[in-house]
Amino acid sequence: MAEMVPQLLRQQLAELASQDKRFDGRGRWDSRDIILETDILYNAEGSAKVVLGDTIVYAGVKFDVASPYSDRPTQGSLMTGAELRPVAHRKYDPGPPSPESIELGRVVDRGIRESGCIDMESLCIVPGEKVWRVMLDLHVLSDGGNIFDACATAAIAAMRTAVVPAERFDVGEDFKLDVSSTPIMCSYRRVGGRYVYDACEQEEIGGDERIHITLGDKGHLHSLQKGLRGVLSPAEFTEILAQAGVRCAELRELVHSKEA
Amino acid sequence: MGGYGDVQLMREDGKRLDGRAVDEMREVEIKAGILPAAEGSAWVKHGLNIAVVAVYGPMEAHPRRIQRQDRAVLDVRYNMAPFSTSDRIRPGFNRRSREISKVTAEALESVVLVERFPRSKIRVEIEILAAEAGTRCVGITAASVALADAGIPMKDLLVGVASGKIDDIVVLDLDKAEDNYGQADLPMGIMPNTGEIAFLQMDGDLSPEEYELATEYNFKAAHEIHGLMKQALLDSASGGEV
Repeated sequence: MAEMVPQLLRQQLAELASQDKRFDGRGRWDSRDIILETDILYNAEGSAKVVLGDTIVYAGVKFDVASPYSDRPTQGSLMTGAELRPVAHRKYDPGPPSPESIELGRVVDRGIRESGCIDMESLCIVPGEKVWRVMLDLHVLSDGGNIFDACATAAIAAMRTAVVPAERFDVGEDFKLDVSSTPIMCSYRRVGGRYVYDACEQEEIGGDERIHITLGDKGHLHSLQKGLRGVLSPAEFTEILAQAGVRCAELRELVHSKEA
Repeated sequence: MGGYGDVQLMREDGKRLDGRAVDEMREVEIKAGILPAAEGSAWVKHGLNIAVVAVYGPMEAHPRRIQRQDRAVLDVRYNMAPFSTSDRIRPGFNRRSREISKVTAEALESVVLVERFPRSKIRVEIEILAAEAGTRCVGITAASVALADAGIPMKDLLVGVASGKIDDIVVLDLDKAEDNYGQADLPMGIMPNTGEIAFLQMDGDLSPEEYELATEYNFKAAHEIHGLMKQALLDSASGGEV
């Protein structure tokens, strides 16, 4: 029974795709409505909430003072964690982090880290002794599909509005975390044989592999990830990369519009 | 209580540090039906606390050993988000959240008509997004609204409230400073319609007279919050804010 429903759904999605239609009536590259709010959690030094269709996620940034890695005595560090807690969907069980949540945290982390938007040297307090550790936590409250883009958008918005609580740690004055650019992720899913942007829950259940692309301010790629079973052609990638360029620019503008 | 009596919590004018009267509660805001993936859900802001609750089920009780032939079990998880407190919390269960989950489940099982759903379980996921003293009570209030939003039959909406003692004075609804430096804390889960108590904890030091007064404050506040809970459910049912 559990296997039959996706099979029927797959047939339906294939039929819709052959008529260039989607499950919820959107065009192939259309997004669901997205709402972004920043600075909304009282105890987090940076926070953001994203509502993307039926998906709701929070990102929170916390800081602490730690010893630097011995090979990088003048650099702070970034740690990203994602929680797919049972609150978010019937399908999630309590317990240690699942492979899916680890992948989610790491893909979001790579996009931010590899874009070089965080100057790790600016997070040094005393070389070789004390540095700031940035802890970015992603908290999914409702999984209605495409949690990757929701988390990545919330993550960069929370980072860009974060304030380093130096006064609380007695190491100088509070200062704004320096985030020099705005890496943005766009995710594509093969549904009914072709790629679509921002898959909804049903498209994920009845779909195949997914591709996550993170682009920087200048349109450079900073992180790529293919997840789940399936293959794609170079031509297909070229097509979604072009789409990602357009959509990332829109999302970057949204993130910038929520900065005080 | 972490109180040592060395921090003054009452002002000269008889008000508390945040300007509240002794029997004045922090502001409470409640929304029902806010999580699309869940069967029932609620969002409660109480002072600076924020709790979000999702309810799933009734569903088959797994693992098998938790199943009861004659009633449903409530599978309650109380969890604080890593960014909910001043120092980041390591994700995952700890002893405190396990205990709160257990007593909250037992309190909710006392108000849900569990006999209606033999051999099943109802999952209640309490997520604390921001914490500023009194999160277990906010969790109970939010869980009741989420259960009602999921259409689970209950005897009453259980309301979480707390009173305590600061500078030898009984006060309603402790904030963070009062919780840290006060002398007692008395969290309760109250059923306003029947006047019964389904959740009860206490720590610190209270005389029997002080307990009576604290309970009186709790019941008064519970009636107030009860009204807000019902209004949130009405708003949600009539297609209010999601």
